Amino acid sequence: MSGDEEPRPATYYHLARAVLYREFLIFVRYPANAIGGIVVSLFFFAALFLGGQLLAGQALADSIEGIVVGYFLWTLSVGAYSSVSNDIGSEVQWGTLERHITTPFGFAPVALLKGVAKVVRTFLTSAVILAVMLLATGTRLSLAPVTVVTVAGLSIVSVLGLGFAAGGVTVLYKRIGNWLNLLQFGFVALISAPVFDLPWTRVLPLAHGSAMLQRAMVDGIRLWEFPLADLALLVAVAVGYLFGGYLVFQLATGRARRLGVLGDY
Amino acid sequence: MARSATSARGGPRERDETAAARDEESVADRSGPPALAVEGLTKRFGDGDDAVVAVDDVSLTVERGSVVGLLGPNGAGKTTLIKCALGIVIPDAGSVRVFGNDVRDGRRAAYADVDAMLEGARNDYWRLTVRENLRYFATISGVDPDSVAARHDRLLDRLDLADKADTPVRDLSRGMKQKVSLASVLAGGAELVFLDEPTLGLDVESARTLRAELRRLAAEEGLTIVVSSHDMTTIEAVCDRVVMLSNGRIVADDTVDALLGAAASDVVRVASPDLDAETVADLREAVEVVGVDRDARPPAVTVAAGGDRLYDLTDALRSAGVTVSDIRTVQPDLEEVFLERTGTAPGAVGDAGAAFGGESS
Repeated sequence: MSGDEEPRPATYYHLARAVLYREFLIFVRYPANAIGGIVVSLFFFAALFLGGQLLAGQALADSIEGIVVGYFLWTLSVGAYSSVSNDIGSEVQWGTLERHITTPFGFAPVALLKGVAKVVRTFLTSAVILAVMLLATGTRLSLAPVTVVTVAGLSIVSVLGLGFAAGGVTVLYKRIGNWLNLLQFGFVALISAPVFDLPWTRVLPLAHGSAMLQRAMVDGIRLWEFPLADLALLVAVAVGYLFGGYLVFQLATGRARRLGVLGDY
Repeated sequence: MARSATSARGGPRERDETAAARDEESVADRSGPPALAVEGLTKRFGDGDDAVVAVDDVSLTVERGSVVGLLGPNGAGKTTLIKCALGIVIPDAGSVRVFGNDVRDGRRAAYADVDAMLEGARNDYWRLTVRENLRYFATISGVDPDSVAARHDRLLDRLDLADKADTPVRDLSRGMKQKVSLASVLAGGAELVFLDEPTLGLDVESARTLRAELRRLAAEEGLTIVVSSHDMTTIEAVCDRVVMLSNGRIVADDTVDALLGAAASDVVRVASPDLDAETVADLREAVEVVGVDRDARPPAVTVAAGGDRLYDLTDALRSAGVTVSDIRTVQPDLEEVFLERTGTAPGAVGDAGAAFGGESS
């Protein structure tokens, strides 16, 4: 290797570039996955919308904005959750997970960057779904980008935490992983949690963020118009569940290392 | 972070030359701590009566630049030993040091210098191209991929993957995928590399190429390689030293030559068309016949004929009227040495493996 330069250590910048670039490559190279997800989501929405019209008529028309916002947040949540937990499952199978655990950077920054990439990707597909829903139903919503992205983004960070926890459990008990996918339907309950009647539900993932997103998109409230306490709770729930989920993942992989089940194919 | 790889010197070499280069290098490299130092490593799986000791108080040192083979039946503890060294299995007792860094305490420091190709794992992303994989895993191992781009090109060249560099891995043949897996492990410049069954599932030709590449990489890049395999040809062709494991313990640890030499056989094989049943019966009276192969053409007998007993054999052959077509000493191979030391065939399942079905080797 005499004409070569000396290998230089990679920085966090290089790590971020590598992880995000990989996600980008897979996204653009296999668009069928993303398009498939969008089509399935729109199909469900069509069934919900048309079925609802049939059953509820005018009552549905009055609450259609709320349904569109709720469905938008649900597609975001499902995208973030399943991409993280399925990704961990796949990486276990491929034997690439342990290469990320035994990196000199430590697993946390890699996992966090992967999470960011998944959230960005999910926002792109959910934006398409939102646009189609608005056009198809003729609904008008406030779409102030900073407000919507911040509130929706922080809301689904808590789900990202659940994704890590589910991924960790999958490392230990491979078969349970598939069942954990059913949790996605539980997100519907969280998104429509009665935060006004039962204030304690605000500390559950998604619930408080969902209420804030409704106000932002339906009532046109801007980020800086929210009370500080609401914003603080939104951040606290996001960070709390992300940290908690990561802790579960760490404990699970730690146990997998002691049991010797990490890297069993 | 990662150590820089030592410089390669020119193009393809013959085995003797590479072996000589490796010897020089390993002597020069012995100044620092060894590549791998395992002390009293013990790992049990399960509890109570069901507990299986996968690795039982194993101590082992691998010097820098050497190529060591790990041999053992399934369940002997090879894979557990490797996973402990990588930090993906936490041992119950004992320590593992990689270039002086304790895998348990200073994990991150140790990780920069060690990587592994584990049996049955893809190890890379099939949806990315070969080069994208190399760049990605170099970064994950702590090396700026731009700074090793030339090294990656050379690696792909060596492994005959250069014209597939921009092909997604999923479109490659099995043998090529295996080579990409190896390349992605080497991409980050780890100086200590574990290869668990690297030739498993490869056809004869691909396995031969891979073996040749391993030898060359060890010599030219100054890598320390620990190869675990059932395939004796791979071990004999690639390794300087062999560590044999059985039921979690080391049963032999020596150079390939010494192991073969210690088992030097005194068995002679004689082939002749005259070796019918009656003649063989006559021979049995005079010498110790250990085996008869009537189906061979011409038929053959194997006879214990060490030292002076060789003269008794030639006398017996002459008096029985046997015209010899071929006579040779039977060379023991690693497989026989292995059988003698462990009492099991290398592909067989050992006691621990039988009890602990989930463990791959």
